[in-house]
Amino acid sequence: MKTTGSNGWRVGRVLPRIPRVSVRTLLLYAALAGGAFLCCWPFFWMLSTSLETFQEAMAPGLSIWPASWHWENYVEAWRSSPFPRYFLNTFLVAGTVAVAVTTSAALAGYALVFLRFPGRRLAFLVSLGAMMVPFEAVFIPNFVLIARLGWYNTFAALIIPWCANGFSIFLMRQAFLGIPSDYYEAARLDGCGPARFLFRVALPLVRPTLSVTAVFAFLGSYNALLWPLVVTADGSRRVVQVGLTVFTTESGVQLHLLMCAATIVMLPSVLLFLLAQRAVSETMLATGVKG
Amino acid sequence: MSRRVGVTLLGLVFLLAGAGCGSGHTLFAPVDDRAAVFWDRQDTQSAALMRELVETFNASSGLLPIRWEHAGGYAEIFRKVSAGIQAGLLPAMAVSYESMTSEYIAAGAAVPLERWIHDPVRGLSEKDLADFFPAALESNRYAAHGNRMYSFPLAKSVLVMYCNREVTRRAGVERSPDTWKAFLEACRAVRAVTGKPALAMVPDCSTFSGMVFSMGGDVYDGQRLLYDGPESMAILDLLEVMVREDLLCMASPGTFDDNIALVKGDAAFVLRSSSSRAYLLRVAGDQAAGLLDIAPIPQKDPSHPATVLFGPNVTLFAVPEEQQAAAWSFVRWFTEPEQSARWAVATGYIPVRRSAMEHPLIREAWAQWPPNRVPYECMRYARPEPNVDGWQQVRVLVERALVEVMSGTRTARDAAEWLQRESTRALERAVRAEGRTAGT
Repeated sequence: MKTTGSNGWRVGRVLPRIPRVSVRTLLLYAALAGGAFLCCWPFFWMLSTSLETFQEAMAPGLSIWPASWHWENYVEAWRSSPFPRYFLNTFLVAGTVAVAVTTSAALAGYALVFLRFPGRRLAFLVSLGAMMVPFEAVFIPNFVLIARLGWYNTFAALIIPWCANGFSIFLMRQAFLGIPSDYYEAARLDGCGPARFLFRVALPLVRPTLSVTAVFAFLGSYNALLWPLVVTADGSRRVVQVGLTVFTTESGVQLHLLMCAATIVMLPSVLLFLLAQRAVSETMLATGVKG
Repeated sequence: MSRRVGVTLLGLVFLLAGAGCGSGHTLFAPVDDRAAVFWDRQDTQSAALMRELVETFNASSGLLPIRWEHAGGYAEIFRKVSAGIQAGLLPAMAVSYESMTSEYIAAGAAVPLERWIHDPVRGLSEKDLADFFPAALESNRYAAHGNRMYSFPLAKSVLVMYCNREVTRRAGVERSPDTWKAFLEACRAVRAVTGKPALAMVPDCSTFSGMVFSMGGDVYDGQRLLYDGPESMAILDLLEVMVREDLLCMASPGTFDDNIALVKGDAAFVLRSSSSRAYLLRVAGDQAAGLLDIAPIPQKDPSHPATVLFGPNVTLFAVPEEQQAAAWSFVRWFTEPEQSARWAVATGYIPVRRSAMEHPLIREAWAQWPPNRVPYECMRYARPEPNVDGWQQVRVLVERALVEVMSGTRTARDAAEWLQRESTRALERAVRAEGRTAGT
């Protein structure tokens, strides 16, 4: 709004200019908001259900607001399984697996890209093939091996079979392929050995992929249920996902407690993803790094 | 119950997948040398009671202690045992359905229990054996394996009908219908008043078997399946009529939507295992006692009633004798009236021994809510489903046929013919596979 002052000057407050938004943009934003809402709905529902009474939680429909808030559900759910111990075990197992997978994938990926050795192509194909073998097919052979090694109900059974995987090797190989071979050759001419090139040059250049590999490995291990359930015998070695199984009975589900436990169990993985979000996005976008 | 379908199918896949790396053990190494391990599937509340019972037993048994382990659901337990069989490493016992036990027998892992049942020190006397409900014991005899007992019942349940009294009263149905004819009329009356389907039902093989039994028929005569028989046809026709008249609401397999519909008044009747009653009462909350009722399932002839027997058993594995002795002693002790009455009152299961019905805890539960008594009365005439090899595959086919009839995509006649043909083939395949296993 503008007015004219006594001195003839135009005075007053100039309203900020509203940017013109096309209908197309509005529609796009509405569609994106709708998509975001759909993605978030299960999480809202989970949180809401976790605060309801058993009867409310079992009511049909998708109500998202509890009639009354029952924070004590979280205490009950927490006490239903030895969750502190389960979390400790999970972080130990998932953390070790993440470090081991990242290390093995970085070394294998580097060797497949920069080192020349007989059977290099075959080794890559074998690692790709490993990606295509479903868990169900290796479940029994793995269990037999674990049992014969005397590793039943040990951390070794939870960690060692998952220390390397084809997908992570593939991911790291693709990242190393983005490093121009000129770098490697120049470094070699300057007297830099393969190990030094890996740690001083290559790894810093593929740090986002390294982070993503670690995050994927951590989450894969963190979310595992069947294998930990099968190779462990008691709470001293069990992980958080196993703790969720106690809320399902033959006659029904204790839905409100299950949602409490699911919320608690989900928090670390959400936090980790938020921390690593940038690296994940970069890796996903930077699939075609040019030299 | 439909979970059981997936459970054993997955297990079968694992057993077959692992067949190549089997080592032909006759005696398996125990998962714990210092304890007889029991792989079970109780949830939070029942697990606490089970632990307490195990501790009580261990304190006085003088044998290897029992170590109870929560091993997930039936699917996970079957996978663990299947993997354990291949690895030569097993617990002393695990909870199992008959179809799971059949697979363990074929793999040489389950031990026949006659030697323990008739053991002079740890066995059961003739008087004890006569105290068991015959059907509870008979369901653990495996005709395809010398008619021997390879599993033992801990507690059982039966198919009953749950009613929402508020809805039935509004429809003028004062008594629970005792015949299928009266049931159909009651459903029509409910539909006329509420405008909603009267029966909420999960397509489930055991439920169908119970309905066929109640029609005076059977699903297997020891030689052939009877899905094209008049009793099976009568049930499929009934379902078809109910679908046509919008009297039936199908709940998704594996869900508990039928229970919720009953409590919320969206259905008047539900056919479910008697072990569901503790959960249903909890869902209904404070109003449960006045809202819900339990009745025997409708019959063709109420003077000759029949229903189906549910409930898992426990299988003892071929581990060292010391482990088996402890496991068997625990099973025997658990089925005694004192322990089984405690278990029954807390979980909704029914003790497998008649004398447990006289226990003050059971009597008190009946006095507290009279419908609690109904499942116990049904135990007298409950019958098990067949435990022949290949039954698990038949269960899948029955459930598929039920889904098709209940969704109106196949007529009752077509479904019966298809089911008879395909399930017969499934049993033949299982027999051939068993022959191959025995031959190798």
